[in-house]
Amino acid sequence: MLPYYIKEKLEKEKIDDFVIISHDLDASQIKFANNKIVKTGTEILRDISLFIVKDKKIVSTSFKEFKDRAITPASENLYKKRADEVINKLMNFIKYLPGNKNYNGIAQGPFKYKKIEDCYDQKVLDLSEKEAVSYVENAINIAKKSGGKRSGGIFEYQVDNISLITSNDVEASDKLTSLYFSIRSNINKLASGHETSCSRMLDKLDIENTAIKAGEIAKLSKNPKSVEPGEYDILFEHLPFASLLNNVGSASSIFNVESSLSFFYNKLNKKVASPIVNLIDYGNLPNGLNTIKFDDEGVPTQKTTVIKNGILKNYLHNTSTAKRYKVKTTANAGLIAPETTNLFLEPGNYKKEEIIKKIKHGLYLTNVWYTRFNNYFT
Amino acid sequence: MYKELAELALDYALKLGAEYAEARLETHTSNSFLVKNGVTELANFDKTIGLGVRLVVNKTLGFMAINTLDTSEIKKLIEKSYRLTKASSKLKEGVEFSHNKSYKKTYEVREKIKLENLSIKEKLKILLDLEKEILKLKIKVPGRFLSFTDDLVEKYYINSEGSRISSKIPFLNLFYYLTVQNNNNSMQRYWQYGNTGGYESLKKWNLNENIINEIKAMQNTLKYGKKVPTHNLDVITSPEVSGIAVHESGGHPYEADRIFGREAAQAGESFISEKMIGKRIGSDVVNLVDDPTLPNSYGFYLYDDEGVKARRKYLIKNGLITEFLHNRSTAATMNLKSNGSARANNYDKEVLIRMSNTFMMPGDYTKEELFEEVKNGIYIKSFTEWNIDDLRLNQRYVGNEAYLIKNGKILYPLRNPTIEINTPALYKSVAALSKEMEFHAASCGKGEPMQGIPVWHGGAYMLLKNIKVH
Repeated sequence: MLPYYIKEKLEKEKIDDFVIISHDLDASQIKFANNKIVKTGTEILRDISLFIVKDKKIVSTSFKEFKDRAITPASENLYKKRADEVINKLMNFIKYLPGNKNYNGIAQGPFKYKKIEDCYDQKVLDLSEKEAVSYVENAINIAKKSGGKRSGGIFEYQVDNISLITSNDVEASDKLTSLYFSIRSNINKLASGHETSCSRMLDKLDIENTAIKAGEIAKLSKNPKSVEPGEYDILFEHLPFASLLNNVGSASSIFNVESSLSFFYNKLNKKVASPIVNLIDYGNLPNGLNTIKFDDEGVPTQKTTVIKNGILKNYLHNTSTAKRYKVKTTANAGLIAPETTNLFLEPGNYKKEEIIKKIKHGLYLTNVWYTRFNNYFT
Repeated sequence: MYKELAELALDYALKLGAEYAEARLETHTSNSFLVKNGVTELANFDKTIGLGVRLVVNKTLGFMAINTLDTSEIKKLIEKSYRLTKASSKLKEGVEFSHNKSYKKTYEVREKIKLENLSIKEKLKILLDLEKEILKLKIKVPGRFLSFTDDLVEKYYINSEGSRISSKIPFLNLFYYLTVQNNNNSMQRYWQYGNTGGYESLKKWNLNENIINEIKAMQNTLKYGKKVPTHNLDVITSPEVSGIAVHESGGHPYEADRIFGREAAQAGESFISEKMIGKRIGSDVVNLVDDPTLPNSYGFYLYDDEGVKARRKYLIKNGLITEFLHNRSTAATMNLKSNGSARANNYDKEVLIRMSNTFMMPGDYTKEELFEEVKNGIYIKSFTEWNIDDLRLNQRYVGNEAYLIKNGKILYPLRNPTIEINTPALYKSVAALSKEMEFHAASCGKGEPMQGIPVWHGGAYMLLKNIKVH
């Protein structure tokens, strides 16, 4: 109701483009350390964010002051009054801004959205406190049996109801559950293993194997020795490689390319990786933790090839940036800066054990701490 | 400001059976601007308001956060938090809180030029003027990412032991990321300025001059910079570099929640242990402190987010490990009182042990006298990439603007000199410190979910003897 009131008011103000996104989030968390639960967390967050453009002047804000979860007739006037204040402030901001010459509009709707499998699971909402605690307890015990002595981590589960309306005939909504389990199992300060599992569906969250792996890596890492500086072949576990891929994903956003914060500057259609690397930005991946039916301007999400056979094929765009480069949007809005969704490195032909057999002189890397850059441009 | 809801939440948590409860009502009113390569990409204004409640049930800590500020919604969430916390007490840690005095206080950081009195145009002009100055240079700067934020933070904290603390603190922050190019080579520089207080801070930042000088220095390094020969050399660090070192290897490992393994899966642990209190970790001249009470500092507060009065903490005194950064539960573990190091960056974040303003105390030398001490050495004025392990023991710092020193004189610029050293070796190598001090702003990240907290780091120029540099 409130988003539609805001929409009406913005249309009256003759705003050129606007996007109104609402979130209604319900989240829970159990944090554990040294095999004990050290904190629980529960949260309710309601949020309506506004992105508006008039004469190419761009302002964003959000509406976060709520008196109730569901706006009632009794509180309606209060919210309308608040919305009016926010909109007045928006109009005041616009007066004093220069236009953004790079801005080229938002997507024109309407769109049809296909259902994406495995994005909502009622079992997450029905998860009882006792069950949630038992998952943590089991993980701690499994990690102990697998080799770790003391474990710490997080179990999070949440549901988010999202809706979006724009000035360009887009109306979209989605409801998404998500779960995340992280466990680091220590034998001592120098020997530990860390593993994570994430899912939108409770049954696909693999806490057991996650805990086993954390314990096993901890056992493997007992009595660590120093490594001589030199050249090695490195077998990356997926956890540390995901950290590197995250940087590759950021580099593929056209915003970062234009900001000189990307090593993919001027590399389109050039070799950026070995020929066996195929990297996809997969916005509609079933059960993907960042999967949603639509991006921040309501464009249906898709699979975009970022790297194919080692060649950089696409930057990630929203509608405005895509127009500037005379390409189609890749549905990665981010209204100012396009963002990755789920980064998917296509699998190859080897099993892990086969790769290990191929390595004569190498390292098995199971985790990294900080990954930092001297120069993002190079 | 919904204070009655904080009181209601507290009472309700106790009524349900919590042994302890506290509520933190927090409002952030902010404006921010982003200029990228001369284009005003975005202006933003925001107001967030919400309530965070901590409760202890069966010696287990629970936390809830809500921004639908309605009595029945708050009560429902407290009930949910109570249930989850009670169920979790099956694996309870057995949380205890130290006995700290409760206070009823109101304080604020005054603004000479109030945030609300500067117009939108004037705020944006800060970035647009900087952009103009950069473009005047005959230096290629293809990447110019400039952002500015002001944020008025109002808090109301109460707990079941009688604390009632109200605060109002305005924050200012400017962040920039620049890429300087010379032929096919480039260098990057990111940094930020931050203060609490009003817009009068801007003059002190001397932004345009400082940033222009940095760009010129990068150009100079690109044109004339040489690689430092791998060698043992004396190193002078500017307060910026001293600051990152004392923050990463001086502040973080002293966070007691790391020391006790509570943040192992999130922030890591620490090579420091309880048994090391009183042990030598640095030379006699090393005095490393954390102090939230510095006026107008970016990490300023007078009472932490557990209602404990803030004070200066000597983490290292005369080279000896002296004190950790505590919250009420880690302090209780060591039979101490909390020293007021518990912070959260907003109502919806867990209170964790955080730094505030962490710095190397000054010494007896002027900056010039420090340079005179160096026959063969380098001066690292700013850094680029740095790194450190999760125990905070092994670290590296890579210079951005840096110079070779010979017989006390700067000779020529260096390309990315790097020091890799462990923490005790770093602090034992400190031979002398300057009288002059500077402070630099940063956003320190910790926690799951991640929360960035405003801090200063810095202090004196340091002279480090006989350091392996490559």
